[in-house]
Amino acid sequence: MGSILKMITYRKELIKSMNFLGKKKDTLFIGQSVSYSGNAIYNTLTGVPSKKKIEMPVFEDAQMGMSIGLALNGYVPISCYPRFDFLILAMNQLVNHLDKIRKMSRNEMKPKIIIRTSIGSKSPLNGGPQHTQDYTEIFKKILTEVKVVYLKNPKDIFKSFKEAYNNKNSYSYLFIEDADFYNIK
Amino acid sequence: MNKNDKELKDILINFEDDIKKIYESGKIKAPIHLSGNNEIQLINIFKKIKKNDWVLSSWRNHYHAILKGIPLELIKKEIVNGRSMGLNFKKYRFYSSSIVAGIIPIALGISKALKLKKSKSKVWVFIGDMTFETGIFSECYKYSINHKLPIKFVVEDNNMSTNTPTKKIWIKKSKIPKNVIYYKYKRKYPHHGTGSWVLF
Repeated sequence: MGSILKMITYRKELIKSMNFLGKKKDTLFIGQSVSYSGNAIYNTLTGVPSKKKIEMPVFEDAQMGMSIGLALNGYVPISCYPRFDFLILAMNQLVNHLDKIRKMSRNEMKPKIIIRTSIGSKSPLNGGPQHTQDYTEIFKKILTEVKVVYLKNPKDIFKSFKEAYNNKNSYSYLFIEDADFYNIK
Repeated sequence: MNKNDKELKDILINFEDDIKKIYESGKIKAPIHLSGNNEIQLINIFKKIKKNDWVLSSWRNHYHAILKGIPLELIKKEIVNGRSMGLNFKKYRFYSSSIVAGIIPIALGISKALKLKKSKSKVWVFIGDMTFETGIFSECYKYSINHKLPIKFVVEDNNMSTNTPTKKIWIKKSKIPKNVIYYKYKRKYPHHGTGSWVLF
């Protein structure tokens, strides 16, 4: 019973966070399955206005680069990667560009991006080795400027997204969710 | 070539000559990728580039930065401080990256933002002939055309990727689309450095 409540709260808190971000003038939601169903993240974006969503083809690295470009022009993209395993394909733009751009521009360029990804669920169906990996610790090590946050407790979710959006230093954040906590229908 | 173009050409050549001397004196503790032999082509292309347009470049970016209107002393300072491979100036809307094709998705995002904001500005993306052959170029070019984004690609073909001849390795080169600006030149300097032995 406790874990079911946790799941429900987890998803509710994510929806609340996205609704909060969806009300901001400068946010955009970008990724595959932001406008069309197909993954757990989609279910948290139903309250976000459709005009704020940019559905992407499958080109993960280009999506991260596009997010940087949008952020350089004043937007705060919420860049969604339905599974952690897919975010691996965006490593070039994430590690070589987003994570280095401040250093490379004497702190002039400070794109603020909120990246969302999710560890694929193992229950009731197990997605297997290419759809369920948790690379949190590796990303914490490889990223030097992008903040990495693993969302474990529902009570931390809203304040974490709010803090990411409001952070005055314009840091980018990578939020890692766990689909086993909210993948309920 | 008119008088202004001639003066601009001299500015470009003299700038790289100056950097070459400083580098050979051992004062720059980082790789440099000098430009040369493509002054006229770039001067003509930059006549179309407006002050508020974005220019995205690569590791060989000195000429692009100068022609974008960034003060010479500012560029020189960055190069001497070891940042030749990534000259970046937000105020001048100039970004460069030393990762092959890295600028292309970023350019796509900038152009998408410009379109959303109904801006009249454009993004100009300068890439080499090996970058033109990459999959990421192909995807992003397709996206930019289909979504009618304000972006212009310029292929600068010196047939070299570091010292690997593009045509030989790919067997043949891909066809340049009509809306992509293309020019060919032979590089004046080696891929990096000046060709002289330097003691650091």
